[in-house]
Amino acid sequence: MRKHDTTGEYAIPNVEARALSRPDELPMDSDAFAGFYQRSAPSLRAYLVRVSGNSALADDLTQESYLRFLCATCPEGGEVNYRRYLFRIATNLLRDHWRRPKTACIEDVPEQFLAARDGLSRIDSQAALDPAMARMRPRERQLLWLAHAEGYSHQEISEITGLSTAGIRLLLFRARRKIARLLRKQIGADRRRA
Amino acid sequence: MRLRSCGFENELAQALKDGHWPEGCGSELRAHVNACGNCSDLVLVTQTFQQARNESEQAAACGPPSLLWWRAQLRRRNASAERVSRPITIAELFALFVYVFVGVVLVATQYRHGLRWASWWSELAPSRAFHLWPLASGQADWNLLLLISGFGVLALLSGLVVYLASEKS
Repeated sequence: MRKHDTTGEYAIPNVEARALSRPDELPMDSDAFAGFYQRSAPSLRAYLVRVSGNSALADDLTQESYLRFLCATCPEGGEVNYRRYLFRIATNLLRDHWRRPKTACIEDVPEQFLAARDGLSRIDSQAALDPAMARMRPRERQLLWLAHAEGYSHQEISEITGLSTAGIRLLLFRARRKIARLLRKQIGADRRRA
Repeated sequence: MRLRSCGFENELAQALKDGHWPEGCGSELRAHVNACGNCSDLVLVTQTFQQARNESEQAAACGPPSLLWWRAQLRRRNASAERVSRPITIAELFALFVYVFVGVVLVATQYRHGLRWASWWSELAPSRAFHLWPLASGQADWNLLLLISGFGVLALLSGLVVYLASEKS
């Protein structure tokens, strides 16, 4: 099972894959892919930027996610499932990146570099969110983004991350409480400064 | 930390997801959110993340899909080519192994015979395998050539068999 799974080194074999009629056949034609890419790439990149805290890495992983998506046997069920599968690929790529022998681990990146360097740091909500996200663990950032930015259910997050639904519920509850406290603290500090 | 579920949480999460909060929600829910720590956390976090997502999506500059499409096709073709050439590589490796093995056996045998090529061949040729060959009795070089060729053909055939077997699998 694992050898056919191209979602990453630590792929989770719990999504049923459709066998393509020909092994060199792409899952969709170029026009359909262009449309799907236009609709999904910004949110996938946003997820990767926010979770990794590194725009360059996010760009690389976004491209690699789509390449693996196109080379893989995709699940049935249309764009919703394609999108979830894409997030799963990206999540596995991120995990592979973090587990690789360190060049630079997310835990070691200084806080000031964690703000997304794509011209967004001037925006108010992000001014509060970036420092708070920097203090969260990678797994917490993933869960929070998938649940609150992408609006995925616990079951869908479970399929993307490979964690159990019960574990996600607990981790998400703790992560939400933690980031809410950090956000309030940050907003309070910003108001006092203003 | 204990996980405490609030009865309004699902309703509030759905309202936030649909963009109905706060105008589209009843006064009871709004009053509850003001009083409930979990629900106020949910509102704060969801709204912040949704806003960040919208801003990130607007600012995202993703590359052209045609380039990705082309790269994916290239990668799939390379993977197909690799799949096709894998049996050949295995057969080549096996043939190489057989050649090396034959070479080692030959050298070891020669060493046991004290590296006396001429005397060994003159003993071997008329005695067993080559006694029916009319030219063998007097020409040791031909016997050596035949022996090596035989081993070579054997190695080639072994490689071919492995190739066919791995291609079939």
